[in-house]
Amino acid sequence: MDASRLRGQEFAIRTGSTAAVEPVRVDVSGLTKSFGQVHAVTDLSFSVEPGSVTGFLGPNGAGKTTTLRALLGLIHPDAGTASFNGAPYRALPAPIRTVGAVLETAFHPARSGRNHLRVYCRAAGLPLARADEVLVQVGLGEAGRRRAGGYSLGMRQRLALATALLGDPSVLVLDEPANGLDPEGIQWLRGFIRHLAHDEGRTVLVSSHLLSEVEQTVDRVVIVGAGRLVREGTMAELRSGADGAGTVLVRSPEAARLAAALREDGTQIRSEDGDALTVTGRTPAEVGSRAFAAGIELHELRAESSDLEEIYFKLTAGQEQFAAPSPGSPTQETAR
Amino acid sequence: MIRLVRAEWTKLFTTRVWIAMLLGACAMVGGFAALLTGFAGNPESGIPAVGTPLFEQLALAQSTNATVLTLILGVIGMTQEYRHRTATPTFLTAPRRGHVVVAKVIAYALAAVPFAVVVVAVNLLVVTVYAGARGAAPELNGDNLEVMLTSGLSLAIYAIIGVGIGALLRNQVGAIVGALVYLFVIEQVIRSIPATSGAYKWMPGGGLEAMTATFQGPELLGAWQGGLLLLGYGLVAAVLGTFLAVRRDIV
Repeated sequence: MDASRLRGQEFAIRTGSTAAVEPVRVDVSGLTKSFGQVHAVTDLSFSVEPGSVTGFLGPNGAGKTTTLRALLGLIHPDAGTASFNGAPYRALPAPIRTVGAVLETAFHPARSGRNHLRVYCRAAGLPLARADEVLVQVGLGEAGRRRAGGYSLGMRQRLALATALLGDPSVLVLDEPANGLDPEGIQWLRGFIRHLAHDEGRTVLVSSHLLSEVEQTVDRVVIVGAGRLVREGTMAELRSGADGAGTVLVRSPEAARLAAALREDGTQIRSEDGDALTVTGRTPAEVGSRAFAAGIELHELRAESSDLEEIYFKLTAGQEQFAAPSPGSPTQETAR
Repeated sequence: MIRLVRAEWTKLFTTRVWIAMLLGACAMVGGFAALLTGFAGNPESGIPAVGTPLFEQLALAQSTNATVLTLILGVIGMTQEYRHRTATPTFLTAPRRGHVVVAKVIAYALAAVPFAVVVVAVNLLVVTVYAGARGAAPELNGDNLEVMLTSGLSLAIYAIIGVGIGALLRNQVGAIVGALVYLFVIEQVIRSIPATSGAYKWMPGGGLEAMTATFQGPELLGAWQGGLLLLGYGLVAAVLGTFLAVRRDIV
């Protein structure tokens, strides 16, 4: 990784092919920002690695959007820095060729999606044809010629994503990109994000207030609550590190033999039900490799998401900005 | 900078605001010119007769009435970024926000030139045809050409002032209403009160009148001084706006 190359280089324009992307690491260090009396973000530090998808999680009002906007130079932090391979956003020579961002879905309603994209092609010195390429890439195609004011919420999200992709950036910063997408759109977005990071080597930072929304997509998580870092690490670390540990559901025609093999390693088996085992304190990868080593056929292997959701909930409990007492809310049980 | 200026032109010409403003300006200027020609020489109206140099200069200066529209065009050009929240992608593409304001000033000043040519041409056409029908079409002599040139320039300068006001206030409705109230109420009051009319020549309206007025009015600057004064107001507003408003957090 070479920051000087990043600064001086022209980036080839691709349509999402397999060509290598300049690896860019994102570092946030000591970020602090207050709006009047509200401490939006306090001394927040984390990093985002190239070639991976990092989930930026936290309840509403945890400071996610403030952090992302400060990262992109739209907000001046009171203290701390945010950089791309060491350079702050404002110092990037052609910022949208390094970083693409989806922050909000706001367009001039009278301008067509295609013309919206062409504005930023002009501003960044990109060929106008790039607008049509990204429209196809996000599945808008012909709709790009219609006025953006008539777009559905899902189409707006796709146009925002197209705007982020214009400069074929090494880094993608996506703030709640699944908002307004239908289930099919969310499925498409997940696949698209994984492809951008894993196949093309881009750095992806995607925020969400729902762990379940991103847990199938992200490799790492940065969890914030009330403007402070709560947890940073891989999904596996999150599962095994929190109280109650991770729970893995595994199905095998040789469930009994697998259970014995796992117990040999000191793994807890919470329940055995026919061909299904519920294993705690292990990741799916660990269970899978143990089964593979023992030559045991598996039919299903997955993390129990409800437990992960519970871990996330425990980590961020009591840190919502707008805590409302509601009958039957689990807040009472899990508050620290 | 050329890229940012071209991006501003793309923004301007991919919505229909400019067409509405241009058609409005042509209708307004054509209408005023026709009214003026129609009542020329009428003793009750006080308008000089067709064929006199005073009438011709007055009639050809009607283009300046469209300054209110180029002002609004400039205000919209700047404030639409905040109104439609496109400030986010705009400043992501060009993080040095002062460059965006400079690009808008250049883009709107230059776009106002063909705009002004069309408006001045409509003005000339209406006066030539109507006054010609009433006996004497204006000649394109030095004085008349100067009036047309300064009127056209005033349109471009008001577009710059519009961008500057937009940068300073950011709120589209507030900026437009504020500018109109200032031009049509506050300045008219200042102009008409003897105690303050001395200051009027230093104000935007006074600058505009200095550029193009032919009627007897309050004491004014010279035409070119008036133009420079107006340009100064536009640029000061743009610079102040950049530092005081545009650089604020985009939340």
